[in-house]
Amino acid sequence: MAGGSAGRHLGWAVLPLGVVLAVLFLWPVAQLLGLSFDSPAGPLGHYARILAVPAYRTALATTFQIAALVTLLAVLLAYPLAYLMATVPPRVAKLLTLCVLLPFWTSALVRTTAWIILLQRNGVLNALLTGSGLLEAPVAFVYNLSGVLIGMSHVLMPFVVLPLYGAFRGIDQNLVHAAETLGAGPWALCRRIFLPLTAPGVMAGATIVFMNALGYYITPSLMGGPAQTMVAQLIAFNINQQLDWGLAGALSLAMLLATLAVFFLFQAVFGLERLMGGAHASGRIGTPFALGPRGRSPGGRVMALLGAGVALFLIAPVLVVFPMSLGSSPFLAFPPQNFSLRWYEEFFSRPQWMASVWNSLTVAGIAVAGSTLLGTAAALGLSRLRGPLARLVETAFLLPMIVPHIILAIGLFGMMAPWGLVRGPWALGLAHIVVAAPFVVITVRAALRGVDPNLELAALGLGAGWFTMFRRVLLPGILPGIASGAVFAFITSFDDVVLALFLTNVRSRTLPKLMYEGVAHEINPTITAVAALIVLFTVLVLLLNLLLQRRAR
Amino acid sequence: MSAPLSPGKAVVLERVRKSYGPVEVLRDFSLEITAGSFCTLLGASGSGKTTLLKLIAGFETLDGGAIQIGGRDVSHVPVNRRNIGMVFQNYALFPHMSVRDNVAFGLEMRRVPKAEAAPRITEALAMVGLEGLERRAPRELSGGQQQRVALARALVIRPDILLMDEPLGALDKTLRASLQRQIKQLQARLGVTIIFVTHDQEEALHMSDLIVVLEKGRIEQAGTPQELYRRPANRFVASFLGECNILTLDGTPHGIRPEKLRLGAMASTLPHRREGVVSELTFLGPHLRVTADTAEGPLTALTDADHATACRLGERILLGFSGEDAMPLADSPNATP
Repeated sequence: MAGGSAGRHLGWAVLPLGVVLAVLFLWPVAQLLGLSFDSPAGPLGHYARILAVPAYRTALATTFQIAALVTLLAVLLAYPLAYLMATVPPRVAKLLTLCVLLPFWTSALVRTTAWIILLQRNGVLNALLTGSGLLEAPVAFVYNLSGVLIGMSHVLMPFVVLPLYGAFRGIDQNLVHAAETLGAGPWALCRRIFLPLTAPGVMAGATIVFMNALGYYITPSLMGGPAQTMVAQLIAFNINQQLDWGLAGALSLAMLLATLAVFFLFQAVFGLERLMGGAHASGRIGTPFALGPRGRSPGGRVMALLGAGVALFLIAPVLVVFPMSLGSSPFLAFPPQNFSLRWYEEFFSRPQWMASVWNSLTVAGIAVAGSTLLGTAAALGLSRLRGPLARLVETAFLLPMIVPHIILAIGLFGMMAPWGLVRGPWALGLAHIVVAAPFVVITVRAALRGVDPNLELAALGLGAGWFTMFRRVLLPGILPGIASGAVFAFITSFDDVVLALFLTNVRSRTLPKLMYEGVAHEINPTITAVAALIVLFTVLVLLLNLLLQRRAR
Repeated sequence: MSAPLSPGKAVVLERVRKSYGPVEVLRDFSLEITAGSFCTLLGASGSGKTTLLKLIAGFETLDGGAIQIGGRDVSHVPVNRRNIGMVFQNYALFPHMSVRDNVAFGLEMRRVPKAEAAPRITEALAMVGLEGLERRAPRELSGGQQQRVALARALVIRPDILLMDEPLGALDKTLRASLQRQIKQLQARLGVTIIFVTHDQEEALHMSDLIVVLEKGRIEQAGTPQELYRRPANRFVASFLGECNILTLDGTPHGIRPEKLRLGAMASTLPHRREGVVSELTFLGPHLRVTADTAEGPLTALTDADHATACRLGERILLGFSGEDAMPLADSPNATP
């Protein structure tokens, strides 16, 4: 490439993030996995124990079962919703997109809290069902398998809905017209055109859901019962209670191998691009498919109705925290009898809550600054690399998104605790740089692809040096990408619980960790106020992002 | 080859109305297309030609009026029961199916037994010259090949009529000409009624039995290519199809084609003459295009390139024409509200 020495050596810009990931990601994870081969009973002692102890065997099987069930549920629920989104007027589609995105970006802990409020024995749903006479006695929806499935598919479904919606939008109207003129009715259209054309998008989403579900920790531990113990919980249990690092390492390796196997299988079959959001078949002209003038077929009407139900399922828990947080009774009752701001006052007046907010913001500051700088540089560098090296580096940069957070959390805990780093914001801040940087790499890479390389050459040809060109031409072009990467990094950091559980202590704990401790014991109304505030805050951040993107255009 | 298709059917549009919101695209639009003819809907974008095609296909519903195909009122028949073949500008081949499966799709929908379908598919692909490409995916074909697959796919179902929406618009010039000939030959052989939408007047002139010139949802003129070229009804048609000089003769507007204008000595014997100054000369190979500024505005003549020596930029020149070449032009129905 043209452009002076700085431009020629730009490939090296991948190095800083590479070093950070080597030290703060590969090394601690490798350490943990290494411990798994260190046992008095020989190098495979821990593995032999996993296979010998029924509780561990059961947990492994349960983990796969739950992950598979959640994936299935997510796909089944995503189809009607994505169909509905693709067939309503743009305004309604935007509203539905909001129903998907809001829970997607709201802290997992807020959602889990909301579900428990909704589903517990004296919760909202039971109150409604028994109150209306549909049920005689309350039903246990939570602290069992149904709780785990509801909670996890709610958290993970957006990963299927979004690529699926993209796939629906990517279907050319003329394809549908062509099939219709050839004699296809609604059912044949669905089976022969829509299903096969959306299948790749669904596969991408399902893969992400399954990989994520395998390593899930928060939802099963808060919404499941003992029979739903998943591997991640056993890993945490062995670290916290048994102090058995070797066994935790062995379980981690088992989980990691399963996750990576799914990842590489997908990569081999479909390619990375697809997994990272490029679900559209490229280069087709034509308008996206829309509903015909004759309206929906009877089957389509059923699908649309189901879709609306799924949208409600996604958004209801996020909304229910608002009325609940405004009640005055110390017991959560629905609907609240008297309204008051009591729990908000409680939140703002308690030093422990305020300290945790401050801790969260400090950690997020470190995470955003670090991941934006390193991620942007890495994306610039990546754009100059070619061939197998580029592929390798790109995959390496995405790994922190794929490796279950619990493994990284424990690995970093083992590395940082001896240095006393968990007392301050640094341990968690650095961990968040590791998990947030991939988002920045992805968004900046996408922005870079949108910048016409000829602009760069034109600027250089007009006599600009590389740095001038970068400042005047390239940077303004990719700034929206950087901004949205920074927003994602912020939300990733601000919402994280798993890493915070291990990498902070009583003094440095963040807001989600404090909430987790509350939810794990008993949900008091202050937590609903916190949840409501976090939802509002997330909405603000998302709006800010939307505004930035719009101004960029 | 045995005739694989049913003969084409006639299409009748009766006082068809269609609005999009407050915009009325078609108002009381009537048209008859004879069975087996090649009818072109010609117009600029926004003229209503695409809406008309969508209504005939059934992609849009009528606000009023009726559409008959072969005597059957299809106004309320859904698309998939109209037995229409359709070819799109962007081909619209199913990307997840092979060439063969694309062509087979319509037969499957009609539950044609496999034993009967197989020879029909082979025949349809042979008809468009695509033997041997059955297993290819659409993306592995060139644009011209993709469009021929689309043609085979539309014809294999033996449609009552074949609708083509700017089917050659995405192809380059040479390929377009060759496909134009192939489509004409196929139509002559199969006798299928074709309704062809284009904004390309040359394409319309080359291919059609009947050209319907549309503007703002109304018919400016309908007729054979010769009729439209030689006897345009109004200014709009005269200048939309081919180049045309407009001048006043006996107080009424007349059109005169550039190739009918004579120059210099050849003009002096003709009954109608104008004088002008040569303002533009374009060499077109066999012809020379001469524009002269006259008292009635610029006039353009097309002359043998051999006369090039006679014309120089800035020189005065005589232009002449005979009375029978002057085409009287009425007002366009769209001209006055």
